[in-house]
Amino acid sequence: MSQYASLLIALPLISAFFVPIIKRISRDAIMPYLSLITLIQTGVAAWAFKEVYTTGKPIIIMAGGFKPPVGINLYIGHFAALFILIVALASFIMAVFSRKAISIEPKDKYAMLFLLLMLGATGMIATGDIFNLFVFMEITSISAYALTGYNKTGEASEASMKYIILGGIGSSFFLIGVALLYGSLGTLNLAQIAQLAGNMNATVAQAALALIIFGLAVEAEIFPLNAWAPDAYQGAPHPITAMFSAFVVKAALYAMARILYITSSASSWSNVLRLLIVLGTLTVIVGEMSALRQKNVKRMLAYSSIAQVGLIAVGFALGTQAGVNASVFHMFNHAIVKALLFLAAGYVAVELGGTELEKFEGLGRKMPLTAFSITVGAVSIIGIPLFNVFWSKLRLILAALSANYAWIAALVLGASVVEAVYYIRLIHLMWFKGEGEKMEENFVLGGIMVLLVAAIIIIGVYPGPVWNIVQKAGSDLFNVANYVKNVPLLGVSP
Amino acid sequence: MISLYYFGAISLILIGMYAVLVKRNLLKMLVGLSIMETGVNLLLISIGYVSNRTAPILSEGATPQNTVDPIPQALVLTAIVIGVATTALALTVVINLYSKYKTLDVEEIRRLRG
Repeated sequence: MSQYASLLIALPLISAFFVPIIKRISRDAIMPYLSLITLIQTGVAAWAFKEVYTTGKPIIIMAGGFKPPVGINLYIGHFAALFILIVALASFIMAVFSRKAISIEPKDKYAMLFLLLMLGATGMIATGDIFNLFVFMEITSISAYALTGYNKTGEASEASMKYIILGGIGSSFFLIGVALLYGSLGTLNLAQIAQLAGNMNATVAQAALALIIFGLAVEAEIFPLNAWAPDAYQGAPHPITAMFSAFVVKAALYAMARILYITSSASSWSNVLRLLIVLGTLTVIVGEMSALRQKNVKRMLAYSSIAQVGLIAVGFALGTQAGVNASVFHMFNHAIVKALLFLAAGYVAVELGGTELEKFEGLGRKMPLTAFSITVGAVSIIGIPLFNVFWSKLRLILAALSANYAWIAALVLGASVVEAVYYIRLIHLMWFKGEGEKMEENFVLGGIMVLLVAAIIIIGVYPGPVWNIVQKAGSDLFNVANYVKNVPLLGVSP
Repeated sequence: MISLYYFGAISLILIGMYAVLVKRNLLKMLVGLSIMETGVNLLLISIGYVSNRTAPILSEGATPQNTVDPIPQALVLTAIVIGVATTALALTVVINLYSKYKTLDVEEIRRLRG
């Protein structure tokens, strides 16, 4: 029964290759087809989520029936089940939005790349093999490069080029790290790496982990390698921007955290944590400072997204259960909020023809519902109580204090202050400046925005149930012994 | 002997990285990227290499005792395919950029964009 979960990988892949046939039948059927497939994917993901959380056991899928480490396995544990659901849900929302936002041909190519992007992120989260992770990362990034340049304007092409070059360097780094791990441990299976990591030479482990972190930092938008992100966010089609922020980044962050924690028995592990803490802190500072100066709302949201990613990375780098839980919670909240913000900003761009700050003047009069959604999203990400991000920022501060990193608490609070400055500027612009006639707002998109706003407020008022789920997901990441025990390794003992 | 391969692989990676970071022509940067990928592939292959052994292909006289480690070779095959896809995509983007800006110089493109 649980083998049906392999549909999570198989369905988007096979549907992507059916797109040309659909196009032959009718060009107008492509976008509804895309929505349908993502809806089915959401259903399968919801089923896997229910299955994992009711039985409390992860779903393990062994490709071809070979036991790991001989065969490649998928591991859908508490964390993966939650985030695959988020990936599928965000894709579904963006597929619906694409019907309105994408007017440039070739739509069939767009639909294929869209499905492959979803497939790549799902695979990165579900896989239990480090090379398989690399392959899924490349699927994600190659479709992301192509989608970034989809609009074919000069800016989009330049952003795509930047992304390709940084992504190429990153994937090479990642592969060198994998080569070092394989050379010293002789395995590629994550569970077996976790078993054997204690025997690793300290220097090799440190170099391999640092290279892997730098490799994933491109996708995860960690500081020195995130120069592509603002350009790509600005140049990419609006739904794709939201997908980047909602789950492509999250998948890479998850991969980083997973690889980091499975090697936690290596003797030089704490050095790697310190590296990640420094990188994360720099990411927060650079992201927030750059966001302050932006004149384009999409670019501003991109920098804000980078800053949040920095906070998540810092939480993972604390090396405690509380830190991991806080980071997972922040990932969850950030996915909802940024999906909402990019959806609303993209919708404004579709209706008013751009995302420069001036376009947002008087939005409260022109499109009250959209303006209201942006306001809720902005207020939430600043970290005002009774909205969801408040709780994850609070957890992050508590985790930092209990791990004796008082300055991280200061970092989180400082970041919130800077966020308040530029988000309140935007809110002020929308409600108290400019004039305009009220416009008709799309019913479906309005409904989705209302649902996301409701999710933000409900989680903000009753964080308990989500926090329980997140705690389970966090311990799935942190508790490596459990991870190893759950994977039926073939005849190897440490 | 085996350290020679490592040395070669690392130098290829560094040469590629130099080209990516220093060159201003987009095509040269892409060539650098390819050189870097080749270096990584060579590194992977040499990690699985055992001296005086044959290729891991099921044929006359090839037993598990006298072949090299097959896994890195499978990895490199995959990595080569991925590299080809990336290069092809990058070249289409370069064509697009050239038709928009009539130049391949990175600095020029940045200046034209303003």
